Amino acid sequence: MENNGWNEFEIGAMLRTFDGAIEDIAGTRQEDRNYTQNSSFTASVADWRLEKPVFNKDYCIDCQFCWVYCPDISIISRDKKVIGVDMDHCKGCGICVEVCPTNPKSLLMFSEQTDEESAIAGWPTKEDKEK
Amino acid sequence: MLEIRWHSRAGQGAVTGAKGLADVISTTGKHVQAFAFYGSAKRGAAMTAYNRVDEKPILNHEKYMEPDYVFVIDPALVYTSDVTINGKEDTKYIITTHLTTEELVAAQPKLEGKEVYTVDCITIANETIGRAIPNTPMLGAFMKISGMYDIEFFKESMQRVLKKLPQKIVDGNMLAIQRAYDEVK
Amino acid sequence: MAFDKLELNETEVWDGNHAAAQALRQAQVDVVSAYPITPSTAIVEGYAKFKSDNLVEGEFVMVESEHAAMSGCIGAAAAGGRVATATASQGLALMAETLYQASGMRLPIVLNIVNRALAAPLNVNCDHSDMYMVRDSGWIQFDAFNPQEAYDLNLIAFKVAEDHDVRLPVVVNQDGFLTSHTAQGIHPLSDDDAYNFVGEYKPMNDMLDFENPVTHGVQTEEDWHFEHKARQHSDTMNIVPGKIDEVFAEFEKLSGRKYSQLECYNMDDADVAVVCMGTSVETAREVALEMREKGIKAGVVGIRVLRPFPFANIAEVLKDIKAVAALDRSAPGGAAGALFNEIAGALFNTDSKMLLSGYIYGLGGRDLTKKHLVDLYTELQANADAGKLLTQQQQFIGVRGPKLAFL
Repeated sequence: MENNGWNEFEIGAMLRTFDGAIEDIAGTRQEDRNYTQNSSFTASVADWRLEKPVFNKDYCIDCQFCWVYCPDISIISRDKKVIGVDMDHCKGCGICVEVCPTNPKSLLMFSEQTDEESAIAGWPTKEDKEK
Repeated sequence: MLEIRWHSRAGQGAVTGAKGLADVISTTGKHVQAFAFYGSAKRGAAMTAYNRVDEKPILNHEKYMEPDYVFVIDPALVYTSDVTINGKEDTKYIITTHLTTEELVAAQPKLEGKEVYTVDCITIANETIGRAIPNTPMLGAFMKISGMYDIEFFKESMQRVLKKLPQKIVDGNMLAIQRAYDEVK
Repeated sequence: MAFDKLELNETEVWDGNHAAAQALRQAQVDVVSAYPITPSTAIVEGYAKFKSDNLVEGEFVMVESEHAAMSGCIGAAAAGGRVATATASQGLALMAETLYQASGMRLPIVLNIVNRALAAPLNVNCDHSDMYMVRDSGWIQFDAFNPQEAYDLNLIAFKVAEDHDVRLPVVVNQDGFLTSHTAQGIHPLSDDDAYNFVGEYKPMNDMLDFENPVTHGVQTEEDWHFEHKARQHSDTMNIVPGKIDEVFAEFEKLSGRKYSQLECYNMDDADVAVVCMGTSVETAREVALEMREKGIKAGVVGIRVLRPFPFANIAEVLKDIKAVAALDRSAPGGAAGALFNEIAGALFNTDSKMLLSGYIYGLGGRDLTKKHLVDLYTELQANADAGKLLTQQQQFIGVRGPKLAFL
């Protein structure tokens, strides 16, 4: 598309989200949707990240705060249960960690190189609140 | 080409009168034009409206006009504005006033030697329509002076033009047209 | 149908504004988003009244400015409705930013511009400075010379704009007061004939099509912007003129009224000609006919379609004319008049020996009288006889004070 000539675009700089007609889009998971190249779903921004969020399901209470606040719709939730982070679209902003209310947090930022296993193994324990 | 210039105050119905006249004439197969100069139209400000009538389509859109008829529907305008501007030798003037034609010409020497008719459209309108809207009586007077149409045909046509108004107002207008037709001198 | 129809007489005495409002009603416009301004107010007011009288099914959106009015039109058109509005002068100036949005997004909106001077000094009367201000905004632009044409061109505008090969917004210009407030005999189409001519709205890429979601109003930087503008210009130049001719022909078949991109009057054997727009075209025709009785072979060219400008047509029409006057009803702001430039451009790389002079006239509603036009044709004939321009290339008609001439 980036090398298209003037006669190869649809008029009005109008962009389609999906190839072909859609039905029941609300009932279709993102990965099953027929997004076009115009949709940002098909573009990865993974290389924008300096740090990445790691999800630890042991402490998660499924409050969905992270899902609500994520500016890139990158928290993957199924039946109101968080199951992980969409690492193609997460830019590593850390908002999910900031809004996570559990103690210890269920999402924490780690360097890109850290593997998930060692991140979970070194997860902090519950902090006592100062009285 | 028949050309008419109206002298009026904004709000007295000259534009409605000019459009109504155009409407009636149009039904007889002639071509018509009705327009006005508004300026910064404030209610009460002096203004002019115009009619053109012809057998063939009217192409001329200039505002300049040497009128065949001049209608003055407000009694003060004959004193304060130049109602004879761009007049021709045979231009006919129909002027609203409570004065007789002789008294008016004596008071306004610019009218001397011109074909002047007078009728008190304001009083007629007040007594028939109940408001000082002197446009339709002027058209009654015009029918008499010009002999353009039979007065009954004209009244019937004006009933159609005015049909959106309350019946009482329409009736008043019919009386006004007839009275001005009878009273213009 | 949920609304009532109107029985119209064969001849109605309407002014240009009412004629345009009736056309919007008959086209069954879905949305009018408007902010009123003299002398265009009666058009949108008329639509609102028709709506309240149940004579049209649609939405009237009252907004806080002309910028918002056109923004509302853009939203409604992108959503998939038949959309129209009206404005003039300062209102159009405030709307200008959104006009480029509408054309760039290829939305078939119909905008009535009731031509009025631009302040300062403040003035409500006719000239073409507002028309000229937006002439490069990417809209198709028609010009009506009388109320009948304001009516006809509105119906034609929807049919051209909404064609899927066109999909461009259309301006219908008419002279403020001289057309908009001048009542003349008009032959309207019946409600059914008018609606059938315009046709049912055929949506394209509409936002209310939930099965085919689209994004309108995208951002493109140096990577794609040029290609989109090129596509728009290519369609305007290559597709639109043919579509306009097609729709004009279809309208003639229906109404008997013939329209052309250039309206030529007595041009076949003319020695001298005036090119102009608006009501001046008709006044010039009357004078041209009278000049023939005086032995001057005079013609008139009226610009019916200002955009896309009929470049080749005007070169063809004018190439053998000896002397031509381009009449521009807009202060040129330090240049030749716009029509002068268009005509000069069209004739430049040709063999034509036509003598071209430009005239600025009628600013702020100043009357263009028959006497002015008689003098103008006489001056053109003198140029033709001398075989050269005897005046400067730019003059002013009807302005008080010492004679002005430039270039």
